[in-house]
Amino acid sequence: MNRQSEFRKLTYLTLRNIKLYFKDKMTFLVSLITPLILLILFVTFLNSTYESSLLSITEGFNLEQRLIDAFTGGWLFSSVLATSCITVAFCSGMMVIDKINKANIDFMVSPVKKSTLQLSYVLANLFSTLIIAFTLLTIGLIYLACVGFYITFVDFLLIVFGIIITSLFGTILANIIWTFTRTQGVVSGVCTLVSALYGFICGAYMPIYSMAKGMQNFVSLLPGTYATVLFRQGFLNGVLREMGETLPSETIAGVAGGFDIKLSFFGHDVSTLGLILVITISTVVLLGVFLLINTIKKHTKKA
Amino acid sequence: MSHIIDIKNLKKYFGNTKAVDDISFSVEEGELFAFLGLNGAGKSTTINILVGVLQRDSGECFVNNQSVDDMSKILPNIGIVFQSSVLDKKLSVYDNLRYRAMLYGLSKKEFEKNLEYFVDKLDLKTILKKQLDKLSGGQKRKVDIVRALLHKPKILILDEPTTGLDPKTRKLVWDMINELRKTTNLTVLLTTHYMEEASVADNVVIIDGGKIVAEGSPLTLKNRFASDYIKAYKYDKKLLEVLQNSNIPYKKERQVLEIKFKNTEEAKIFLVENNVLFKDIEIVKGSMDDVFLSVTGKELKENI
Repeated sequence: MNRQSEFRKLTYLTLRNIKLYFKDKMTFLVSLITPLILLILFVTFLNSTYESSLLSITEGFNLEQRLIDAFTGGWLFSSVLATSCITVAFCSGMMVIDKINKANIDFMVSPVKKSTLQLSYVLANLFSTLIIAFTLLTIGLIYLACVGFYITFVDFLLIVFGIIITSLFGTILANIIWTFTRTQGVVSGVCTLVSALYGFICGAYMPIYSMAKGMQNFVSLLPGTYATVLFRQGFLNGVLREMGETLPSETIAGVAGGFDIKLSFFGHDVSTLGLILVITISTVVLLGVFLLINTIKKHTKKA
Repeated sequence: MSHIIDIKNLKKYFGNTKAVDDISFSVEEGELFAFLGLNGAGKSTTINILVGVLQRDSGECFVNNQSVDDMSKILPNIGIVFQSSVLDKKLSVYDNLRYRAMLYGLSKKEFEKNLEYFVDKLDLKTILKKQLDKLSGGQKRKVDIVRALLHKPKILILDEPTTGLDPKTRKLVWDMINELRKTTNLTVLLTTHYMEEASVADNVVIIDGGKIVAEGSPLTLKNRFASDYIKAYKYDKKLLEVLQNSNIPYKKERQVLEIKFKNTEEAKIFLVENNVLFKDIEIVKGSMDDVFLSVTGKELKENI
């Protein structure tokens, strides 16, 4: 009965946190800055840049426009999802907003366990991110259906897994930071920094292959990069398979390498399973850190 | 009657500031208990310790016979209205109340039933669907009070609850609280600097600089610390001569002569001895303002 009641409290608190995020237009818009920037860049010049890069690699072969559009569209939406799952997770957290508005005091004087409250923040953060990510995925799939659709069911599952694990990774990372934050200034600063920087370091704005060698090595150490490549594979494996009908395998390998559909870790190719393991293990480690921090904080307060 | 709140030798220091300095008092079940003091006197600190927001340095606090060391058994029985609203500004009144009520394990049916009572009493129907930050200060305060009472607590803690409310809303709120006190034996712990609110309390504690400087019923406090006055509207001129020849302080404003006495007994003796000199009089008891001034040496109004 007690467990049931605590679960009910968790459900309502989570619903409240999600509703608050979507009602706060400012917070909502800030969290969508990165995907919006990507869409604007795509419409203004990225589309033609990707297209000419692709054509330069496949020079001498005749590629259907439908394949080119599916490729550039797939690259765009894999970038959008790779960044959104992190930036939305960072900007949709209600924990600090509650501290700033002093709503946390109201929860302190209510019969709700601190762990339930804490979990509700994480769950709401995760669900808000997932809602936005799946909305973006739907938009992406509709767009690709219009220009050229080559995503198989397995590719789709890879994208869905990518969304869930990357959102979870971003949510836990964000909540670790929010545990130590009490001011709006820090929240805005971190949100802006993540929104502005993450797109670059995860290879969403430009392919990792085009970065300097040192930078390539650096980003290959970040778990987010593996998530980006996972999204690339989900969106573009099908297009590559289709291209394989007309292009030689060396050219396909060139395209895959040049557009981050394959990732190399200090000269070693990382398989799809490798990508999944890196991002999953990183998330589990982060979860452990988060739980440890909260346990230490709880005991410090009691003492 | 049994004590529902018991505080013994409570201390809370912030660095060198003694926010609460060794205070002890108890609140009876069902009573209206007023905690009177200027801003920074230690009222809110005491309340924050009682509800688990702050940890005490030393002393003991019991609510409903439970130590505040384990708040899990205390919080379901407490409703609190903070000085400023802590509800979600971007959510509607209904959502705010619903999400908070669920934290007390209320079913949807119970919530709707309880809400209906308050909607009726405080005339909330027109604002239920409105976003909280679109409401006036008075409307927000009403919602805060409903949030504190929705789960039918045994104890209602009001931290300066009616500050900023217009007289009509203030009366509405107090009428409802008084009805709940009568029907549910609700205990009310109130911090205020409104004298009219403190003067209707069953018991008052006056706190200054973190220490209790006076406590008792308003009548006891007035008898002990406030002067009595005879206001003479019509009188014989000889009364002025009598007063001039005695040490009794008095002042004359227009036609009204106000004579100050240490207590009721002294006023009664003077009245009996000089009854022929008085034609139209009024005997006035000292106010809680006088009590506060007498025990703290400070004017309460200046701080409002």
